[in-house]
Amino acid sequence: MTADITPTPPSPADDDVLLRIENLVKHFPVQAGSLIRREKAVVHAVDGVNLQVRRGQTLGLVGETGCGKSTLARCVMRLYDITSGRIFFDGQDISTLSARRMRPFRRQIQMIFQDPYGSLNPRRRVGAIIGDPLAIQRIARGKERKRRVQEVMELVGLNPEHYNRFPAEFSGGQRQRIGVARALAFRPRLIVCDEPVSALDVSIQAQIINLLADLQKEFGLTYIFIAHDLSVVRHVSNSVAVMYLGKIAEVAPVEELWNQPRHPYTGALLSAVPVPDPDHAERRERILLVGDVPSPVSPPSGCRFHPRCPKAGQVCVDSDPPLEPRYADGPDHVAACHLPMADGEDLSKARPAIRAVERVIESGIQGGA
Amino acid sequence: MSLGSGDLITVGGEPTPDTLVAEGLAAKKIEGRSPWRLAMARLRRDHASMISLGVIIVIVLVAIFAPVFAALTGHGVYQEFRATGLTPEGLPVGPSGTFLLGTDDQGRDILVRIAYGARISLVVGVLATFLTVVVAAVVGLAAGYFGKTVDTLLARLIDMLLAIPFLLFAIALVSVIGPGLAVVIIVIGFFGWASVARIVRGQVLSIREKEYVEAARALGAGPWRIMVVDILPNVIAPIIVYTTLLIPLTIVTEASLSFLGIGVPPPTADWGQMINESSLYYTSGAWWFLLFPSLALLITTLAFNIFGDGVRDALDPRGLDQLYV
Repeated sequence: MTADITPTPPSPADDDVLLRIENLVKHFPVQAGSLIRREKAVVHAVDGVNLQVRRGQTLGLVGETGCGKSTLARCVMRLYDITSGRIFFDGQDISTLSARRMRPFRRQIQMIFQDPYGSLNPRRRVGAIIGDPLAIQRIARGKERKRRVQEVMELVGLNPEHYNRFPAEFSGGQRQRIGVARALAFRPRLIVCDEPVSALDVSIQAQIINLLADLQKEFGLTYIFIAHDLSVVRHVSNSVAVMYLGKIAEVAPVEELWNQPRHPYTGALLSAVPVPDPDHAERRERILLVGDVPSPVSPPSGCRFHPRCPKAGQVCVDSDPPLEPRYADGPDHVAACHLPMADGEDLSKARPAIRAVERVIESGIQGGA
Repeated sequence: MSLGSGDLITVGGEPTPDTLVAEGLAAKKIEGRSPWRLAMARLRRDHASMISLGVIIVIVLVAIFAPVFAALTGHGVYQEFRATGLTPEGLPVGPSGTFLLGTDDQGRDILVRIAYGARISLVVGVLATFLTVVVAAVVGLAAGYFGKTVDTLLARLIDMLLAIPFLLFAIALVSVIGPGLAVVIIVIGFFGWASVARIVRGQVLSIREKEYVEAARALGAGPWRIMVVDILPNVIAPIIVYTTLLIPLTIVTEASLSFLGIGVPPPTADWGQMINESSLYYTSGAWWFLLFPSLALLITTLAFNIFGDGVRDALDPRGLDQLYV
């Protein structure tokens, strides 16, 4: 799968960039054979991603289930070893550091997990769970640790008296606050939020999002906010990256993405966001994408989105589009598309230039359009 | 009438001083009830388990105070009473005033021998099981957590051990080393750990994928800390269940080995051995010689089994999921 992608050239405000990801690739081998494990094929979970996150900003990362956003998050956290590519945190290359060398960086990059029920050890008390970072990194012990844990519990809106309770005794929203408290325990600089509100009720979602926003203001945190709910992402992010099948489709400042999406996938996603006003909802055209997301084991040739794209042309089958500014966009707004959407273009009126059958044969989708 | 989230519902409408005091008291006791305390409470409510526990305690006391039995009856455990303990034909004497449970083929007091036999059964049962479980836990944890080559090696080792016919190997080993208490413990421990290790490994494999383990790794925790702090407490529940069910199995295994003559050597008092020796005599009418050691073995095994079931139900009331809520 040859990708014609050049790394993003360093932008002028480079000292402003806290995290830079260059050509990150993560492949998972599909193993066959029971006695000796042979590699049969490879899952292209993340296939050449370039991203930047500025200090104090929130980068939203959206995409369908299975597009690789969680894998990307875990690669940034070095929970997985990356197949190739580089990760720069504050200018330093952390892509291949050993566990020991990585330890000091773990104080600065932390993660909030999606599942408030699974991310806390049910047999440990909440105080111990939140105090884990302090214990593991040997920052504080005994009374000092307890004091700091209770301090951070208050910060996230938990009653410090509940130090000795078990996770089972808290509601979902409170458990997520415990997760936030754990991530915050040693005041990291970057927090990767892996769908932190997806498992919560809508009313609780608002509370957690507001909490995250307050913490960001108070501590100057930088967030990577992964979600599949676009309205939430719009509310919290400064800039948004759209991911599809292991690659970035588009990156833009949040309002620009909403008003002038370039990539047809972004256009389709935006048209699917529920609109509160029923009259407005009736009037607009939903863009329905044909087919299912192809398997990441054998992604389509050229642009990965071409089998489902309402605007696909022959060039899309032949070559993989680079991630660069389109039309008259500034350097902050990049899209990987040969036939991007123009300003105000109505995607529902687009027709693909290649036949559906051709697309199916080209991409090898079973039972496609 | 709309209720806010913090309203106290009382008859009459106004919160009374009593309810406020109760609420304040409840707020003070914010010490969570750990899963262990909840399990203990469940266990205590299970009558069958509590009765079995009582029986087990009685058996343990009998084993500890076996010399008391010897002192009270005046019969030593190895003492042969050829005059009073055997009939003129040389057959065992039945239960009577002097020999409460009768005598065996050498004229020894069966009651005293059963009491001393309890020692062997319990020591082997508990010790061998303990050894088994410790080895199994370590191997299972290592195999499950480290995965890849370590796991492949250990898993194959476990499979091999499970494939070896226990009895044949036990006979072979004992004939080489010679019979004795230590040999029995080692032989039982050597084979027992494989099946428990397999269970532990399975549990570790599933717990390893849980998000809280990932979170610990994200915080920079090393493998040992994760194994001890995060994985072990969640794996210990099935280990405990297996231990309590393994003890009666071990006791029966030890009795079986002694029955076959490759366990603890005579003249040490041992239930399996007594059952073996009795087989020649019950056709001659010496039913007590077979019955009482068998009953002792049965009651002990049953008590441990029922208690083990109770422990499993207490730790695991809603099926396996509950262990890892």
